[in-house]
Amino acid sequence: MGALRLPSLTTFFISSSSSTFTRAASISARSPFLLRLHQHPNPHLHLSRKALAASVASDFSTESLAKKESRESNSNEEKRFITPRSQDFSAWYLDVIARAELADYGPVRGTMVIRPYGYAIWESIQEYLNVIFKETGHSNMYFPQFIPYSFIEKEASHVEGFSPELALVTIGGGKELEEKLVWANVTRWEMRTKPFVRTLEFLWQEGHTAHATPEEAEKEALQMIDVYKKFAYEQAAIPVIAGRKSRAETFAGASRTYTIEAMMGDRKALQAGTSHNLGQNFSRAFGTQFSDENGQRQHVWQTSWAVSTRFVGGIIMTHGDDTGLMLPPKMAPIQVVIVPIWKKADEKAGVLDAVSSVAKILKTAGVKVKVDDSEQRTPGWKFNFWEMKGVPLRIEIGPRDVSNGTVVISRRDVPGKQGKVFGVSMEPSILQAQVKERLEDIQSALLEQATSFRDSNIVDVSSYDELKEAISQGKWARGPWSASEAEELKVKEETGATIRCFPFEQPPGLKTCLMTGNSADEVALFAKSY
Amino acid sequence: MEKGVAESAPSSKKSNANSKNAKKKEVKKETGLGLSNKKDENFGEWYSEVVVSGEMIEYYDISGCYILRPWTMSIWETMQAFFDAEIKKMKIKNCYFPLFVSPGVLQREKDHIEGFAPEVAWVTKSGDTDLDVHIAIRPTSETVMYPYYSKWIRGHRDLPLKLNQWCNVVRWEFSHPTPFIRSREFLWQEGHTAFATKEEADEEVLQILELYRRIYEEFLAIPVVKGKKSELEKFAGGLYTTSVEAFIPNTGRGIQGATSHCLGQNFAKMFEINFENEKGEKGMVWQNSWAYSTRTIGVMVMVHGDDKGLVMPPKVSSIQVIVIPVPFKDADTKGIFDACSETVKTLSEAGFRVEDDLRENYSPGWKYSHWEMKGVPLRIEIGPKDLANKQVRVVRRDNSAKVDIPVSNLVEQVKEILSKIQDSLFEAAKEKRDKCIEKVKTWDEFMTALSDKKMILAPWCDEEEVEKDVKARTKGEAGAAKTLCTPFDQPELPEGTLCFASGKPAKKWTYWGRSY
Repeated sequence: MGALRLPSLTTFFISSSSSTFTRAASISARSPFLLRLHQHPNPHLHLSRKALAASVASDFSTESLAKKESRESNSNEEKRFITPRSQDFSAWYLDVIARAELADYGPVRGTMVIRPYGYAIWESIQEYLNVIFKETGHSNMYFPQFIPYSFIEKEASHVEGFSPELALVTIGGGKELEEKLVWANVTRWEMRTKPFVRTLEFLWQEGHTAHATPEEAEKEALQMIDVYKKFAYEQAAIPVIAGRKSRAETFAGASRTYTIEAMMGDRKALQAGTSHNLGQNFSRAFGTQFSDENGQRQHVWQTSWAVSTRFVGGIIMTHGDDTGLMLPPKMAPIQVVIVPIWKKADEKAGVLDAVSSVAKILKTAGVKVKVDDSEQRTPGWKFNFWEMKGVPLRIEIGPRDVSNGTVVISRRDVPGKQGKVFGVSMEPSILQAQVKERLEDIQSALLEQATSFRDSNIVDVSSYDELKEAISQGKWARGPWSASEAEELKVKEETGATIRCFPFEQPPGLKTCLMTGNSADEVALFAKSY
Repeated sequence: MEKGVAESAPSSKKSNANSKNAKKKEVKKETGLGLSNKKDENFGEWYSEVVVSGEMIEYYDISGCYILRPWTMSIWETMQAFFDAEIKKMKIKNCYFPLFVSPGVLQREKDHIEGFAPEVAWVTKSGDTDLDVHIAIRPTSETVMYPYYSKWIRGHRDLPLKLNQWCNVVRWEFSHPTPFIRSREFLWQEGHTAFATKEEADEEVLQILELYRRIYEEFLAIPVVKGKKSELEKFAGGLYTTSVEAFIPNTGRGIQGATSHCLGQNFAKMFEINFENEKGEKGMVWQNSWAYSTRTIGVMVMVHGDDKGLVMPPKVSSIQVIVIPVPFKDADTKGIFDACSETVKTLSEAGFRVEDDLRENYSPGWKYSHWEMKGVPLRIEIGPKDLANKQVRVVRRDNSAKVDIPVSNLVEQVKEILSKIQDSLFEAAKEKRDKCIEKVKTWDEFMTALSDKKMILAPWCDEEEVEKDVKARTKGEAGAAKTLCTPFDQPELPEGTLCFASGKPAKKWTYWGRSY
């Protein structure tokens, strides 16, 4: 995922020779921050050549897709169910995305339509991060989507290990263009696509900063990976492991790449966010310079960092279960769904009154509430539907509850009677406190559950045989590593696992490399990944 | 690369001889801080210069594409926050559809594609492989989204379907590109809604148009006219188009500010967006689409800017108040700086967007010019005298008026002044615009008004052929005149009034003029 950002850097630094940029840089050389910029979550194109070629070759048309699915879903609407997660994780994932109305397949294969429910999750990621970015002194801006071909060539020739895989625009307004233009952010070589996790086009935020000293750049790169880590733990309830990428897995052109790695429900690793210390590699290629205090021309030290809609996929695959999606309360577009229950006509008015007053009470307390009072569906159907959509809490209100002045609260994460509280008073202060407390409980329960799942699936290994054994069981292996890149590649070829990172948190004591038996400074984390 | 100005604040001088020489050279370059073009003399050049000097735009290597700098993005974000909250109240939800369109769906609606074909950019290659089927980049998303509307909408319970997306679109125009106003890629929101009845669709068209009016008038302080587009000017493939129209007095050109379209059932027919009503009868949905773009920001620059640079309405300005220390020789510099920080703290706690400029290598005079160029509505100066009198000096960007206000009353007065600036920017713009409006009845009057750069209100027979004819007859270097809109607010049209262009009986008053 990291490599995706490379072409954006091309866009970013073209203005380096202009007076505006140099002025900004020279001003900032005297202040703690250099030019700090961050591109706000805005649509960006990410396109892979193979997938694009395949999509066009496959005789595809939107019409056929939409029509076909429409016919199928018409006849199967009631019958469709979610493949159990334990049976087939991939099928389960696709079912959840379709049934919970998170996304749909796009008009060109490998693209995706993000539906309102899925987009709302992305919006809550944006909201949180945007505030933090601004608090840490970053501004939003927007760079054009198109990159002149010559810029890409320039970058490719300067940064070793980067070979562009890009879509070219050669026709504009019916005329042939003189200079070929290239899409921004386009580097990936994907044969298989998966909604949210691997798509041709996705949404992200990308941050780009420039600093006067290597220390500042390093501090920035570490600060941002820490922002991502905190977001993952506190908001998304995903216990990621933060660390440094191995040399082989470092973003082309970066001095160091930091990552947060998450364990999905199938125990594969997902790289959920990255932060790169780019050193002076790009500023040398693009001639981005400033004058230091002594009037000396210096190349700036840069960082870049990004989180994308891939993170939404991470939330689904971390918390979801056989019933469907399970959203952490802090990320959920709907935190509480209220389902009215009545049988006789004379019960209806009383129940609906109570429902709307409960909804109002909760909205006042800042809780995101949805009332499902449609009459076409039975309460049982609604329970299943909203469980499948992953709404953390359900409130049921029936005639007896109305006369008692109480409601029933059910937790999405604890099935059956255990997850229910009966007879919760409708009195505003009690109800608000109860609901908020439950939501907090769910938030921390999800994190705890994911953490214990993660920890029970990481094996400490001290030899290559143990590593192979752990990986073949589908687990992650953690062991001391100081071997070569060739040996890293050998592990990948023989087991399918790669070094996800050298975690920041390291066990104390002397270590011996699991591969070579030489002394090692650090343990590395190995796993199969998305 | 020191950019210090020779007469800058005393304390910041360094005694390095080498860098002093370097400094002198730089100083020369930097003191040309003002604009070299005047708004009333050469408007086009003035505009191109002010968007760059005000740090809104950086030019890019591809003609017609621009880098939007933080000073621009924060305006966009302010308007976005307002509009997004308003449409969420209307139960419109955000989503994201792909950037790509397959040729098949793009061509589904014939009038629509005819309208957009000349501007569509195509992906023809992937790496060095030629693509068998080219892929279009959205110029707008009707054809991207509607196949899914067809899939998602089955019964009346699925209606209304109300979606919006914030995204970029690409229109590969070859006419003269202008930052914000005409660019090949721009940011916008596009709303797409589907209803069971025409009445609901009609109602929403106007609700959205009202939000657009509010963006222009309440946020950007620009007067607009609400009205309906002519048949010739309406959205390709739609039923009717409403718009808010602004006017740029300097060039005498109207500018379409934002549009809200009722698409009728045309797209529903082509994309088979059907539903079953309560009685089990099949029906087609009624659709709307509506959009405003980063063009809004260009209109703001053109309307309010002056020879000193940008003039930002307080409501959208990234910085509303800039605080600048004015230390004199032997003055209590630290005391002044502390007072500046204290002022920022007070105002910022009161909810204003405020910053100080404590840089020691720039003179107060340089800073005044710099922040005037960026259009910050209010400047606060603090010098030794102010410090002694427990006051600050406040200078308005829009009319240069200066007042001293006591520190004890800072928040209240700043609030009042900012709100006055917002109002008087609107009033000034409205007065200027109103002076440009001319009511005509005959062709001769029309031609005179056109050459006087007016926004012309004329009685019209509402025939497409006549509008085409007017276009042909007024064609010239400055471009042809066309209808801007038929205002909802119609003056009385006495029986027997004739069309200014055809001499046939007039049906309505319509605005005409050259436009962007």
